[in-house]
Amino acid sequence: MARTSLSTIGRQIGLSVLCVLLLGACRKEPIYELNTIDLRAPSPNKDQLKTNEEYVAILHANLFQTALSANEVYQLAQCIESIGDKELAREVIISNFMNKPGVQIPTDAGMRADIDTFTKATYNRFLVRDPSEAELTWFRNYITADPYVTPELIYFSFALSDEYLFY
Amino acid sequence: MDRRRFIKRAGAAAAGSFVLPYILPSGRLFAASGGGGAAQHVVFVLFAGGVRQQESILQRYLADSQNDPNEGNVMYNMFDGAPPVEKIVYGTGLGGINPIPSILGQSLASQGTVFREMRAASTGHYGGLNSLLQGTTAATQGLQQKPINPTLFEYLRRHAGVQASKTWFVGNSIGNSTPLLNYSVHPNYGARYGANFFAPNVTFGPLGDQYLGNAKVYHPEDQLPPVYEMQAFLNNSFENVVNSATGIGNTPEEKQDIKAFMVEMFSRTANGTIAHPPVNDSGDLTTVGYACEVLKWFKPTLTVVNLSGVDGCHSSFTGYLGALHRADHAMGHLWNFIQTQVPEMAGNTTLIAVPECGRNAEPNAILDQNDWRSFDHSDANSLRVFGLMAGAGVEQGLMVGGEDNPVGLVTDLVPTVAELLGFKQDVMGAGLIAPGSMSLFDRI
Repeated sequence: MARTSLSTIGRQIGLSVLCVLLLGACRKEPIYELNTIDLRAPSPNKDQLKTNEEYVAILHANLFQTALSANEVYQLAQCIESIGDKELAREVIISNFMNKPGVQIPTDAGMRADIDTFTKATYNRFLVRDPSEAELTWFRNYITADPYVTPELIYFSFALSDEYLFY
Repeated sequence: MDRRRFIKRAGAAAAGSFVLPYILPSGRLFAASGGGGAAQHVVFVLFAGGVRQQESILQRYLADSQNDPNEGNVMYNMFDGAPPVEKIVYGTGLGGINPIPSILGQSLASQGTVFREMRAASTGHYGGLNSLLQGTTAATQGLQQKPINPTLFEYLRRHAGVQASKTWFVGNSIGNSTPLLNYSVHPNYGARYGANFFAPNVTFGPLGDQYLGNAKVYHPEDQLPPVYEMQAFLNNSFENVVNSATGIGNTPEEKQDIKAFMVEMFSRTANGTIAHPPVNDSGDLTTVGYACEVLKWFKPTLTVVNLSGVDGCHSSFTGYLGALHRADHAMGHLWNFIQTQVPEMAGNTTLIAVPECGRNAEPNAILDQNDWRSFDHSDANSLRVFGLMAGAGVEQGLMVGGEDNPVGLVTDLVPTVAELLGFKQDVMGAGLIAPGSMSLFDRI
């Protein structure tokens, strides 16, 4: 009987020591993490050329924030088809869009008040990505150096860029 | 300066003066043939959608197609010969009873050389057009594929260093893959040597007016350079090598010039002052009107004009005769316009017309409004075509070959134009045209 109670007491003591050890092991340690860094190029995986229809539909959406009708998309694509120099055709299409009411373009003052925010927004709007630090710096310097560069001209250049032709 | 240094510098200057004229804008050395062809300009008409020899150069009107004895010439701007006297359906007015008066006092045939019986490489339109522009039989050429071998435009621009705005292709539509023909996918040539292209009935028609006709004008010195600079920066940041989507190498100045031309065309279209032929009731004829405007504005070294109205012969022989008559009217107008309205091109331009294919000997089952039978293009008769050249460097009043003596291939046109413009050796040296093809001048 005495042997039984002794072994019970020993077991309880053992459990208590284990609990104390476990509680001690739960002490919060500092956690070290790494920020996610994208090692890919800024324009990765864009290797699918937009069709003329896709180009005008996306361009219109980017400039007006509204969609073209299917019929308008088809007709605009025919217009591009009818011009041999596609780069020239795109310039003419963009110039026509810019001449229409309803184009959603930030003001020059708004752009110059926060060039980095404008640049990031423009990259996101047209190229669906953030600019790299180098790109951000280049546009910051370019816009700062030339008071005649307007948001409209910047939008124009983005819409003409090779990257904008791909998705 | 001592004698040794003088000799060294004089030698270098002499070498420089010898070499410099031979360096082209593209940076390559001038071709062995050295330019200086017989013509300063060539206007090449792809004529005009599948033409039977019987109703064109052979002047048989209804005699070889409808079991009707009426013969006659409905193409009197191009060929000598009396028009039909009965069953006139190809002119204007109700039932086409009023033939269109001739524009030229002297037929193009009498002013130039006619290859009476040539051989086409294909009985199809796109294959035929490709054979005319590539100089190949294009057996592996897909129907909705850009030319696989270099086109005449690319040979011209690469080997003669001609600017993009001096190289034009004017198409009557954007159908049948026509817009694909302005440059090839050949790795040694391609877009950077391509031609400018308009399908004027679209570009300056209702669609163009709606979507292209109200372009905002940007200042060429203050506004456009920053756009191009930013575009260049963005392009340099893009990792993909872009080939298919690029332009054809128009410089910013050339682009401005083309945009100015477009503005002028929209304005003149609205005013009704385009240089259309006297009769302009078909797509081919309005196309030629705009082609004339291209000639006057740009004075191109090479202009290719595609006509195709004749292809209505699939379902209407009556319509076919009318389209043939109008294609001839277009040729007369084109030549007259060059001689009278474009002084820079008068006297130094060669005009060429060759069908891309012929049409069948036997009709299909379709009867038109006059109960005349229609013709497709798939048999041996569809490989029979003529060739007409007039103007600079072309002998006058010469007829070559005949029904029993075919002379010339449609694949000869590339070296022929190359000879006229002075880069034939480069074309032949490239080794990409069909074996056996040669300049038509070498076949005379």
